[in-house]
Amino acid sequence: MLRKKTCVAMLLAGGQGSRLGVLTQKVAKPAIPYGGKYRIIDFPLSNCTNSGIDTVGVLTQYQPLELNAYIGSGAPWDLDISNGGVFVLPPYQKGKSGEWYRGTANAIYQNIAFIEQYNPDYVLILSGDHIYKMDYNAMLNYHIRHGADATIAVREVPWEEASRFGIMNTDSDDRIIEFEEKPKNPKSNKASMGVYIFTWSKLRQYLENDEGDKKSNNDFGKNIIPNMLADKQVLVAYSFNGYWKDVGTIESLWEANMDLLETPMPIDMHDKRWRIYAKNPGMAPHYIAKGATVHDTLITEGCEVYGNVEHSILFAGVIIEEGAKVESSVIMPGSVIKRGAVVQRAIVAMNGVVGPGAFVGEETGNIAVVGPGMTVPAGKHIPAGDQVDEAYDFDK
Amino acid sequence: MKDIMGLIYTGENDARLRELTVTRAIAAMPVAGRYRVIDFLVSSMVNAGMKNIGVITQKNYHSLMDHLGSGKEWDLHGKNNGLHILPPFLTRENVGLYPGLLDALRSNSNFFVRSKQEVLVLSNSCIIYNARLDELVQFYQDTNADITLLYTKDPTMKRDEYGTYLQLDKSGNVTDMEVQPTHPGYDNVYMQVMVIKRELIKELVDKAVSHGQHSMDRDILLRLVQDRSAKVNAYEYKGKCWMIDSVQSYFKFNMDILDPKMRKGLFREDMPVFTKVRDEMPACYGDDATTVNSLVADGCQVDGTIENSILFRGVKIAAGAHVKNCIIMQDGQVHEGAYIENCILDKQAVIKRNSKLIGPEAYPIVIGKDVVI
Repeated sequence: MLRKKTCVAMLLAGGQGSRLGVLTQKVAKPAIPYGGKYRIIDFPLSNCTNSGIDTVGVLTQYQPLELNAYIGSGAPWDLDISNGGVFVLPPYQKGKSGEWYRGTANAIYQNIAFIEQYNPDYVLILSGDHIYKMDYNAMLNYHIRHGADATIAVREVPWEEASRFGIMNTDSDDRIIEFEEKPKNPKSNKASMGVYIFTWSKLRQYLENDEGDKKSNNDFGKNIIPNMLADKQVLVAYSFNGYWKDVGTIESLWEANMDLLETPMPIDMHDKRWRIYAKNPGMAPHYIAKGATVHDTLITEGCEVYGNVEHSILFAGVIIEEGAKVESSVIMPGSVIKRGAVVQRAIVAMNGVVGPGAFVGEETGNIAVVGPGMTVPAGKHIPAGDQVDEAYDFDK
Repeated sequence: MKDIMGLIYTGENDARLRELTVTRAIAAMPVAGRYRVIDFLVSSMVNAGMKNIGVITQKNYHSLMDHLGSGKEWDLHGKNNGLHILPPFLTRENVGLYPGLLDALRSNSNFFVRSKQEVLVLSNSCIIYNARLDELVQFYQDTNADITLLYTKDPTMKRDEYGTYLQLDKSGNVTDMEVQPTHPGYDNVYMQVMVIKRELIKELVDKAVSHGQHSMDRDILLRLVQDRSAKVNAYEYKGKCWMIDSVQSYFKFNMDILDPKMRKGLFREDMPVFTKVRDEMPACYGDDATTVNSLVADGCQVDGTIENSILFRGVKIAAGAHVKNCIIMQDGQVHEGAYIENCILDKQAVIKRNSKLIGPEAYPIVIGKDVVI
């Protein structure tokens, strides 16, 4: 029998993230590199550890290999403990039946047995889509204080963008009275962050009922929360005002990286009390050669810079050769920018190569992307907004 | 390599490292921006497949214990094997300070008894290298030697009145040795790494210590070679190595690895060097930063000028500050308008606004831990 946990976290990491195009062709979105040395999933995992939540189930489904390998034993996040820790939970065969996760609620439903092992009072539901630092424990205390059945983290978004989000309409006590998914005429600008805390006994009951409803989409936003509201359960909104960035598209991923170059940094990554942990590649400090110029840039271990880098983010082991120019770009682990190449407003994914004298991206326009492991041949031009994958025609 | 264990002795003489070793052993000296001297050795052992490694500590071993921890970073936190820190302890015949390596080995003979492996790689910890120790052990086994010593022909490893030098025959057998000669006559520098069977070293150590002897090289190895009572041979390490035994050699090592070729020899992709992780964010360079030929670790903030320098994790160089030929350890700070040249700043040292410090190249200035200038 495992010892009881007050709160168990379940991280939904099964989505494809198709809007990230070539970047998520072979890896799940939470495994996408961010900020020079992190993966997106480092943020919710580090938040859990820093919030004192030491039992985390990670629900995977789409392209899980890279994500599984990355999470490993959970040691980087101090989640390699004997009572609790991090668990990768793919869908599995049960008796004669077996099925994929059909929706966010169904994914949790299929793992009721996992949660029950810890006999928790509360369950925290997270996603692997955002860059943010949040104290889930403060939210849990809020949930308990309000005697809530469910607490939904919300963030005020600009009114003109409110119709892109799931909007919570609340009364003066922050009690949620209505939930509207992408409303045309929003009555509130409190957008759901996709971070929920449920009283487990309640959630379990709703998951079981929802599973019995053949017409349901088995989704938290579409089914579970509206059903709880209809039954007059106590749902409260928990306001979060810190940095919170969706990284679901190429543009927003690029922007979120560029945010780290702002002064002051909108998300404090130097905070020793709230470190963001990541798996360490174990490389030597980076090297800036004579003749190189580096301004307004983040650089991590294992990089070698011989060329010019402005306003960019270099991940572990990146090599910028002599005469190469990198501007406003995100260069992911292991990539090489060869002699005389110019990379502007671009993302070069893991182990990408930009050949000598090649051009990737332009000074303006959409972000150009070189897919994982792709090579841009010498002298070729990749215009703004193009994504280089295996089928890309370099001579078009 | 399942049957090999490693044992590292960290009690070397450190008088010539001045303030740098007041609070730490040489093995725990910070080097190359994010490592400690011992990281290279432990990583070489782990990369050679050793899973049971003991570290004999002597004085100032707190920083070493803090650094090595449970051995997790080296995957040495297993159940049966793993990393064992062996601090000195009081016994009837030992009052805590070992007069020499032999006394240290005798005090820790329990480690040999407890361990399952038959063969031992024994090493000092003041030489930085990244060697294929599995090949060394292979040579030891193929040649049926009783003892195999690792040596180098690197002339920068020679020291007057210090070290041990080997004379070898064509097949690599040791025919003579010089221990601490005033001027070394032989070119083969013994790297203080040996392969030996557990039973044999226990027997040799017991015999020597009971005769009041303290020196491994003079009292055991030299005698075995002269008496020809054991087969002692030597295996050449052809890579680059550095002895860290003075402020100058410490400075030289750090400056050497600014050279990409030297660095490639030490940090090989197939033989990674592991160390304790600090989870800092990547280094940030400001709009007016100028960086020339420098090695910079994560967590640094560079707004000024750095030239031929090494910045450890969390170092801050303010706008208008100029740092030339310097080593700045963890969390050091150089404030606006300061100029420092040929300096070694220990951890958390701070150089205040507009200070100027220029050391001679041959004798760098050492600024102690937590010192504010």
